[in-house]
This record gives sequence, C-alpha cells and structure tokens, in this order.
Amino acid sequence: MDTRMTAPRASLQDARSSRLADAYAFVASRHWTFKVGSALLVLVLAMVFFAPWLAPYDPGALNLISRLRPPSAEHWLGTDHLGRDVLSRLLVGGQFTVTISAITVVISLVLGTLIGVIAGRAGGLLDEVAMRVVDLLISVPDVVVAIFLIGIFGPSYFTLIFSLTLVGWTPYARLARALTKEVNSREYIRAAEVLGMKRSFVIFRHIIPNTIRPIAAVSFLRFGHKLITVGGLSYLGLGVQPPNPDWGLMLAEAQPYLERAPLLMIAPGAVIFLAALSVTWIGHGMEIERRGARVAGQ
Amino acid sequence: MWKVATQRVTILVVMLFIVSVVAFCLPLMSGGDPARTILLSRVSDLNLAPEAVEALRRELGLDRPLAAQYLAWLGSALQGDLGYSFATRQPVAAEIARALGVSITLALSALGVALLVALPLGTAAAMRPGGKVDGFTTLLIQTLVATPEYWFAPVSILVFAIWLGILPSAGWQNWQSVILPAMALMLRPMAYFTQVTRAAMRDVLEAPYITAARARGLSMNQAVVHHGVRNGSLPVVTFFALWFAGLLGGSVVIEVIFAIPGMGRLLYEAVVNRDVPMLQGGFVAIVGLSIVINTIADVLYVVINPAMRGSHGH
Repeated sequence: MDTRMTAPRASLQDARSSRLADAYAFVASRHWTFKVGSALLVLVLAMVFFAPWLAPYDPGALNLISRLRPPSAEHWLGTDHLGRDVLSRLLVGGQFTVTISAITVVISLVLGTLIGVIAGRAGGLLDEVAMRVVDLLISVPDVVVAIFLIGIFGPSYFTLIFSLTLVGWTPYARLARALTKEVNSREYIRAAEVLGMKRSFVIFRHIIPNTIRPIAAVSFLRFGHKLITVGGLSYLGLGVQPPNPDWGLMLAEAQPYLERAPLLMIAPGAVIFLAALSVTWIGHGMEIERRGARVAGQ
Repeated sequence: MWKVATQRVTILVVMLFIVSVVAFCLPLMSGGDPARTILLSRVSDLNLAPEAVEALRRELGLDRPLAAQYLAWLGSALQGDLGYSFATRQPVAAEIARALGVSITLALSALGVALLVALPLGTAAAMRPGGKVDGFTTLLIQTLVATPEYWFAPVSILVFAIWLGILPSAGWQNWQSVILPAMALMLRPMAYFTQVTRAAMRDVLEAPYITAARARGLSMNQAVVHHGVRNGSLPVVTFFALWFAGLLGGSVVIEVIFAIPGMGRLLYEAVVNRDVPMLQGGFVAIVGLSIVINTIADVLYVVINPAMRGSHGH
C-alpha cells in the first residue's frame, strides 16, 4: 500500500520539474527562426495596430490628379488608381485580415483541443467517430465553405470566422487526440484515476498542459495559412467592402494596372507574405525546439 | 479489414447526408425568393406580376415544404440530375462535369510537378540531416508555405505573359495556359510534400532493413533506391490524395485570376449570380468529392499496407 502511494507522487514531482526544465531550455536556446519570426511578427503587429497614428495620409483620401504615381518623397510607395497613398492604405489594411485570422485560430484551437482531448480520454465509439469525422473534414477546403456561407449570409465577421472554424478545428483535434493517447498511459494519470480524481481535473490538470506546446507550434503554422486564406477571400471581394483598405482587396484592385504600376500589386502581397512568414518561422522554431527537447529527454 | 471498410463507409454516408442537407437547405433559407430571382434574370422589369412569380414558384415546387423539396432534389440528384442553372439555364450536372474536368487537369498538373520536385528534394534533405541541402530545403519550405498564391500569380503573369510574352496571361485554351496557374497552385503542396518525404525518409533510413541492406554490401544510395524510396513514398501518397481532394474547389482564387472555368470559379460565380441550383450542386460536388476521395485513399492505404497500422501506431 505504501509503495503504491509513494510511487505516483514521485512521478508527479518528476513531471513538474522536467516541465520546468523544458521551459528553461525553451527560453535559453531559442532557435534562430523563432527569434527572427517573433521580431518580424512584432513589427507587423505594431504596424497594423498603430496604423492610424503611423499612416502619413488619410487612407481614403482621393486625389484623382496624382493617380498611379511611382514612389516619391511624398508617397513612399506611390499612389493607387484613385490617387490614394499606398503606404497609408497598406498600414491600415492589415487590421481585418490579422484580426479575423487570429480569432479563427484561437477558436479552432480551443474547440479542436477540447474535442481531441475528450475523444482521446473517452476512447471507444466516441473517439472512433470523432476521428473519422476529422479524417473526412480535414481535406475539405475552408475557402469553399467560406464562399458558400458568405454567398448565403453575406460577408460579415461572424460568417467568416464561423465558416473558417467549421473545418479549421480538425488539425488541432487530431494532434490533441494523439498527444492525449500518448499521455494516457503515464503513471501520474493512472495515479489520478486510482485516487478518484474527477475527469475534468485529469483533463485540465494533466492532459492539457502536456498538449500546449505542440499545439502552440501548430497554431502558429496554421495562423500563417489562415492569413493567406482570409487575404484570398478578401481578394475575391468576400471580405472587407471596397472603400475600406485591405491587403487582399488592394491586390485585387491593383490587377488592372499590373503593367503600369507593378508596385501596387507587389506591396500588399509582400506584406501578407511577411506576416505569414513571421508566424510560420515562429511555429517552425517551436517545432524544432520541441523535437530537440524530446531527443535530449530520451 | 471488412469491419474497417464498413465503418468508414457508414460514416461517409452519414457525412454525405449532412452535407447534402446543408447544401440544399441553406441557399433556400437565405431570404430572397428564388422564383423572383429567376424571373428578374429573365426579364429586366423590376415590377414582376405576382401571378407570374407564384406560377413559377409552383412550377419549381418551391411552394412545397422544405423536406419534400429536399427529398425530390436528392432523388433526382442520385440519378445525376441537379436541376437547371438560373444564370445559364444549362443543366447544373453537365456544367459541373465540365468544370470538374478542368479542375482535375489543373490539380493533377500542379500536384504532379510538385511531387517530381518534392520526392528528390525531400530524400536529399533526409540523407544528411542538418546539412546544407537540409537547411536550404527547410528555408524553401517556409518560404513556399508563406507565399500567397494570389500574389505569386500576378507576379508570374507580369514576368511571363507581359514582359517576356511567352505564356498566356489568362484563359483555358491549350497546354500553355495550364503552366502559370499550375505553378501558382503547386507552391504549398510542394512544400508539404517535401516535408513529408523528408520525415518519411528519415524513418526509413533508420529502419533495420536499410542497415541489413548496407550489411549485405549495398552502398547507401543503392540501399535507399532499392528499399527506401518505395517505403518512404507511402505517406506521400496519402498526402497526395488529401491535396488532390482539397484542390478540386480550393483553387478558386487562382481560377478566378486566370479566368479558368473550373469548379472553384463555378462556385464563386454561383455566389455572385445568386444562382441557387448551381450553389447547391457545386457545394455538394466539391465537399462530397473531397470526402469520398479521402475515404478511398484511407481504405486503399490500409489495403495496400496493413503492416503500417502496426508500425505507425504511436
């Protein structure tokens, strides 16, 4: 009886200290892509959220006399087909894409993790059904779901976020379920079960903390993907409505002037690319470190 | 084996049913009277006679309860009849078949080239982890994943169609018009294929049968070619199916940019034209096909290689 009681406790402490050690290793030896990616992300976020103070001109101010001007001292990135300052529009135009993508990622992450963890804990039929649904939904293009729902309910924040979340939760669920299965057989989980802990306690105290880091890495990678998807929807005119600036919309509006003013198309695309690249690098850095920590821990 | 197959098929059928209900009912509940929309598209007179609207509604069966309408639609859909487009007045099923042919060609060209690049690149990266090729490959993957295809496409139009004038900038006439859109579509799958190939080859290279082959006196390259490539490409095949399913409708932005009459553009135009039958049919076709392809790939994977279930069960 005594040994039974002490063994789980010892392993509980092991888990705690190793998690601390992991966290320390994580901070101390960050991968370079993580550093560069975070710097880039901070830059992009600062640009997007301080845009109203940073923008040199009113992003909506028309000036039909100076249309499609090349870059100059007054207009660093030139002007668009209505004579509006491209730099100002670029700065302000990120709010929609970044906000929608971020909210979508957070909701998908919470939903997917919960479904995955519960399926992984419950096992049996529930697990089987949940995972088969994930298998089937994971290849359904989210753009198609979004276009269908926006076509019916019209473009709005809610429709966009809802339609992107509808299939967006699947990768998190798959990963969370796999991680849960891995942790399920650990001694401290068995100990908690033997001690008669509540299901929710086991899930929130033991399982979820174990899934956070891999899922964080994946969510940064998915964030980049969402930025591109939302930009694409807005390119199709299914996001922000015209007078307001938006990166995807700016790309679409630049299309007819491709030859006359290539910068008009290159600039907003480059910003989407940099934003997506920053989070992809962060996610990649986290993945590398997680794998590194795992190899070291074995 | 049979248990797995029946289970997958059951869930497939249930999912298809849900998708078809959603696809049929949502466009009808979106407010706006389809009968009015049709009449408005036929005659440009805004003052429609109420009797005419009523007559058309009865003719289309729109006055019946939604469930009855759904069952009638499902019945004819199962026989390959999805009704007539409001916009073009052509049978929806025929339009979808045509668009599907285009999208399949586009998806297969993009994924085929992506695979041709990714397999050798991923293998080369896996041979020396942490080496120069591996580092370059990783950077390339990150860059490709972050590149918006609707940014790459206009740039490629600018370079190859406008400045160099060697490829068409839009349309779907001959094999040349496939090149630019396929290039734009292949970026992300190429990145993921390379990543999967690299991971699969790492697993393979550490497998005992490679050591055994080396012990029998084969060189590393021989061992990889004879034993590694076949095993390493299995996960890639699953990935290929996933991407193929995803690209059938997911290439919508590229199809719109290049004016390609594929599935994505069909759905997009159905939205723009408020073309209810086309929206219903197009959505069912895209989502249904991606689900079906996925199930087939899943079952095939198990059939081809039952051993994988054991070795990959972690």
